[in-house]
This record gives sequence, C-alpha cells and structure tokens, in this order.
Amino acid sequence: MGAPISIREAYEGRHVLVAGGSGFLGKVWLAMVLQRIPNVGRISLLLRGKGRGVKERFEKLVNEGHVFAPLHEQLGERLSDYVSQRLEVVAGDVSRPDLGMEPQVAERLRGSVDLIINFAGLVDFNPDLRDAADTNVMGAVHVADFVRSCAKAKLVHVSTCYVAGQRDGRIPEEVQPLAPSGEPIDASEELAYMRRIIERTELDNESPDVEAHLHKDVIKRLEDRKGGANERRIRDMVGRLKRKRLRETMAAAGTDRAKELGWPNTYTYTKALAEYLLLDRLAPEQFAIFRPAIVESAVEYPFAGWNEGFNTSGPLVYLAKTWFRHIPAREGNPLDVIPVDMVCKALLIAGAAVMRGEHAPVYQCGSSDRNFLPIDRLTELSALGHRRWLKEHGESALHKVILSRWDALAADPDHVLNLGNIRSVLGQLTRYLRNGLPEKIPSELQEAADRLATETESSNRRLRQIEDVLALFQPFTHDHYCVFICRAVDRHPVIEPELRFEPESIEWRGYWLQVHMPGLRRWCFPTFENKDREVYQPVVPFELREALPPGAGSEAVELEKETG
Amino acid sequence: MSDKSSAAFFRAEGVLISRGVVHAATWMAAQRAGLRERAFRFGQAALAAPVFGLLGQNDRSLGNRIAHLAYREMTSDRIDVLAEEYVEDMLEDHVLDSGVELVKKSRAAGHRVVVISEGISEIMERAVEKYFRGVDELCCNHLEYKDHKATGKLLEPVIGGYEGGRWVQAYAAEHGIDLSRSVAYAGHGPDLLLLSAVGQPCVVNPDHTLRKAAKEADWPVVDYTA
Repeated sequence: MGAPISIREAYEGRHVLVAGGSGFLGKVWLAMVLQRIPNVGRISLLLRGKGRGVKERFEKLVNEGHVFAPLHEQLGERLSDYVSQRLEVVAGDVSRPDLGMEPQVAERLRGSVDLIINFAGLVDFNPDLRDAADTNVMGAVHVADFVRSCAKAKLVHVSTCYVAGQRDGRIPEEVQPLAPSGEPIDASEELAYMRRIIERTELDNESPDVEAHLHKDVIKRLEDRKGGANERRIRDMVGRLKRKRLRETMAAAGTDRAKELGWPNTYTYTKALAEYLLLDRLAPEQFAIFRPAIVESAVEYPFAGWNEGFNTSGPLVYLAKTWFRHIPAREGNPLDVIPVDMVCKALLIAGAAVMRGEHAPVYQCGSSDRNFLPIDRLTELSALGHRRWLKEHGESALHKVILSRWDALAADPDHVLNLGNIRSVLGQLTRYLRNGLPEKIPSELQEAADRLATETESSNRRLRQIEDVLALFQPFTHDHYCVFICRAVDRHPVIEPELRFEPESIEWRGYWLQVHMPGLRRWCFPTFENKDREVYQPVVPFELREALPPGAGSEAVELEKETG
Repeated sequence: MSDKSSAAFFRAEGVLISRGVVHAATWMAAQRAGLRERAFRFGQAALAAPVFGLLGQNDRSLGNRIAHLAYREMTSDRIDVLAEEYVEDMLEDHVLDSGVELVKKSRAAGHRVVVISEGISEIMERAVEKYFRGVDELCCNHLEYKDHKATGKLLEPVIGGYEGGRWVQAYAAEHGIDLSRSVAYAGHGPDLLLLSAVGQPCVVNPDHTLRKAAKEADWPVVDYTA
C-alpha cells in the first residue's frame, strides 16, 4: 500500500482532457469533479461536432441532465461562471487523428494537458463493426498517439472488465497475453485482419449477386403492395436495403470474429483489441487501463438511484416484471454490478496515481471480488421489488394480484419453459388459428380466432426481442463464472472520505430495492417503453462563457471554498 | 419496599395479536417462489395446526418447529421483504386493541414492558415497532440461517414451551426486576410458569387448560376479541 493520496491535491491546478464525457459514466465523473474538486486546474471536454454546436450541446447537457442538478442547486446563477472558469468544450472526434481537433487547439493542449481520460466507446454489444472499429479501436489508437505527442500528458483508458471474454474464475488485473480462446494475439495483425473483414464485407455487399437479389426482392415487395414501380423508386429502395444489409452483415462479421477469438460480442472484442494496441504504443509509465464491470445506479452522487439509458441489468430487471419467469442464469454466478459514483471515485484515484507516477498497469473496478452478488439473489430481489410495486401500482387486478406474485427465477436456458419453447408453441397456435380451423365455422368464431392469432403473432414478436436480449446477456449471466479481482485501487489510500472507493459498504438488498430499482423505474424503463425521458429544468439556465481564466475573480475563490 | 423495578410481561399471541405462528407460516409458504414449492410448504405449515390443537395446551414447541419448517430454503431477502408485507397488510386487522390498551396502561404504571412471542424476529420486531410503541424488550424465536437461507430450524431457546417462563426468571435476574411486583398477561397452557413467576398474573383469552388452572389459582381472567 502506498502513501495516502489527497485527491484534491493531486488534481489541484491540473489540466485534464476528457474524451467521451457525454456518456453515462463521463457525465457523473464530470459533475463529481466540478462539485467535489473545485481546485481542478482546467477540464477540456472533447465533444463531437463543430464550432458553436458543441457549446450548445454541452449547455443542453448541463441544463437538461439531472446529473448536474446538485451543481445547479448548490450554485444557482453562479454556476455559469463557476463552470466556465474550469471547463472548456473542444470540438473533436476520437475516431480521427489528433482527435479531430483544430490544429491550433491540438497544439495548445499538447503543451498543457496533464491527464487524458478516454471514456469514448461504443457500448452496444453487437454494433456495426465499422463503428466499433472507429470508436473503440481507432479512438484508443488516436488518443494514444496524441498522448505521445504531448509534453507531459498521461492517460487513463476506460475499458471494461468483460475483455476477459469467455474465461472463467478469478480474472487478474493485467492484460492477458492470449485471446480468451487461447490463441496468441498480435494487436497490429488483428487490427489489419479486422480491416480486411470490413473491406471484404463492403465488397461483398457491392457484388452483382447481392444487387440482383435485392432488386428482385424490391420488385416482389412492390408487386405485393400493388404500388407503382418506377426505376428511381426501385433504385432508392435497393439502396436502402443495401445499406441495411451492410449494417447487418458488418454486425454479424464482428460477432463472428469476436466469438472465434473467445469474446462474446464485438464490444468486448474491440475493447480488448484497444488494450493490446495501447500496450504496443505507450510506455507503462504513460498510462493505466481502467476496467469497470457493470456500471449501474448511483449510491449517493449525483443522488441515490441516478441511472440512464439501456444499461445491463435494466433489461433483466424489466423482464422480471413480465409474465416471463425463467431468466437464464446459473445459480451462484456473480453479476458484477458497481454503482456509477463508486466507479467515478475509483477512476479519480487511478487518475491521481497516474499523474503521480505511482499507478498500476490495470485497475479493475467491480464488486464480485469484494462484495459478491450472485445472479440468483439479484433475480429474487428484482422479483420482490416488482411484487411490492405491482401490488400498489399494477395496471389491473390481474397485475396486482397475480403478476405481483409471479416471481421470476434464475433457470437453466434449456428449461422446458424457456423462451424458444414458448415461442414455438405460440407459433404453432398461430398457424392452427390461421390455417388449421375447419372451413365451415360460425363467422363470430372465425373473427375471434383471427383476433387471437393477431395477438399471438404480436406476442411472438415481443418474445423474439426478449430472446435476443437474453442471448446477449447469457455469457455474463449463465455461461461464465468471472470474479474480477479489484485490489489495485487499494494501493492508493485516499485521504478524503467522500472520495474513497468502498464497494464493501454496499448493502445489496437495500441498494437493489430502495436505490437501483426505483432508479431504473424512473430513469431507464421509460426508455424501454419508448416514453419521453424526464428532463431537468434548472431555475437559472447554465450558459458556457468564453474562456474565463481559471480561478478568476474573488467569486471563484469563494465558490471554491463553498464547494470544497 | 424493594428498589428493584417492575415489569409487565405480555405473551403476544392471544393477548396482543389474534393470529399465531401457523397463520404467519402458511402465509409465508404461500408466497414462496415456484408453485410446487408454494403448495408443498403450505401443506407442511398447515400440518402444524392439528399439532397445536392436540398438544398446544401443554407444549407448543413441536407445533412451532413444524410450522417453521415452511421457511426452509427461503432466503433471508425473501423472508425480510415478506415479513414487512405481512406486518403491514396481514397483521393490521388482527392486532387486539384491548392488548394495545394494556400495553399503554402498563407503561403508564411505570412497568418495563416486555413482549414474549412464538413468532420469528423478522415479523415480531416489525410488528412491535409498528403496533406496540413503548415496548422495552422483545423475546421471540429466531430462524437459523446458512448461506443466507433459512434451514427451517429455530435457534434455541425455542419460545413456546415452558421456555417463556424460564426466560422471564433469567431476564428478571439480569435486569434487577422484582417479579413479585411484576405483572404478566398470557393465554396458553405452557404460560403457567410465566404467570406463576410474577406477583400479579392475568389470564387473557385462555385455552381450556389455563382457564382451569386460573380458576384454581384464583387468577383474574379477561376475555376480549378486539
């Protein structure tokens, strides 16, 4: 264990460049730094877009995002000055060399930046391989190249614990020399291979065979619809279908390559490849890899339960509220959930250690090693949480009385009531209702059968979507038992109690029922249900002012004291 | 006059609450995850009813042990969450107002208020906090857990037999309570030891055995249903 670190001292007067700061994790980190480390020198926030667009985007982020609510509430009309003295937004894009910044901006930052935190990443599990390559792989490469061109900058690269792929057991805090399949991996060769996959897939999509097939398909569709078929319309439709096919084949090509090497999806494969490329490009003293596990609702910052978007446990918890009972999960397997604010604290610690030159090569940030939460416990807690909620807020008596007691269970994917079997039965029922009934039946019965068939078809489609989601998560919930060792961060004891990383302090039942599930209900489930998200409305809107010097004026000193 | 304090001992079942452990255990069993498990454990808990019927006026330990088998393999999460629901939704209508009044009066008379119950701590702690404010001490049964799951066994001493009486003697010695100035309210045969340990016993809603004993000992008998 090293000497205690004061996080505030470590960041005092330092210049931090943040890439990907508009994501879930990045925003909480940003708000936490602004609120709890007011003496930070300067934050340059890289945002995609151009000119005034990025400024307006950032203002919208601060004004509409609940994550900045505590800052608004604490500083009110002074927030604009306070933030402007500490933060600038920079237009750029990590997928381009020099992070896509204007040359003069890049030059200025090269001389002054002390620490770069790269949050940028595409978190879809199976995205278009080109997008994943651009953001997750080339983004990391460009950030590394930028670090090498800087006078003193060091890097914390945010990756994921799940680069472990299909490995089982205790996963150490190191970059493994072999791919999870056991094959040796050469990062540059793999990158070249990935590019060849992309080129091959693009070429294939442009082949005359594909063109002819799609053309035929379009003609058939138009004939079915009895719509007019002029040449231009056909060309447009073929173009659209080609683009759609390319996205799908790119996603499939990425998944295939990932699975070949032992990663469950393109996301983990490309994040792992980025780690290997960083090792090739930077010296150990220049960077650290930071791997969070499954980042979920905040315990206390910005406030208990804050969450956003389509996260990992959200769909599983949501499923536990439906009539579908058997969540494919292996009893005793961990689901490594870690609250977002704890991740931000660990990240602050890793960043401080990197700036002081005392860092470990890899920091894993999860709970499984220190406060184990098995998936079956999580499933039961989710069912119990829904029980209480449905009894009070269920849409009908059926929901209040029956669904509330329906109880999701962790079950083997081969369970007789698995989704595949349910869908198969529903499919057969639909076919019977459509084609199997005797021809001479009363018209009322026929109408009722048609209505039921339409319902079963629609249910089947919904179940298909759920099945796809479950397939995505099955590697983590069922197939592999991974405990991510999370000890490197303990090398750096922290002086400030409110900035310590203490996953042992999570009391899972209370967290799940009183913090996480209410958070999901408020912030995430509306997204799943295509409802409008809740927008924050500050009393005094935030406005980013032009380049206020750091700590300018007596007001800044007062604010620093107040916020500190 | 002794400088020791006095206490009022209340047996929860029959005096403060009109439902006993079979009600709680069958309800809990019916809330288990999985229909098969629900049916099996419900049947198991319900078996305790005839056992209480046959033996309950002399020894309630066996009935208690059978009823609490319903909790076997239930996680501490489920028991805790359901206990809260049971206390809030199921127990409310079975709290005896006359019992609540007795607690208040005992408190006003300066007694230390002690509740003795066959129920499990997960339920009784919440029930006492919600419905019987001012209780100083609760003595109830505790489930045994292994790896966050109930084994279906109760930790010793199992309250329900003559343990309640023995516990009171030990409690009085430990807390310097003058039993001769203390009062006890109970209604089951096995509570004889508890009632005879105090200076002012009061029999509430008694079963046949206790009613007969109370008559012979000339103890006051109180009957109430609400």
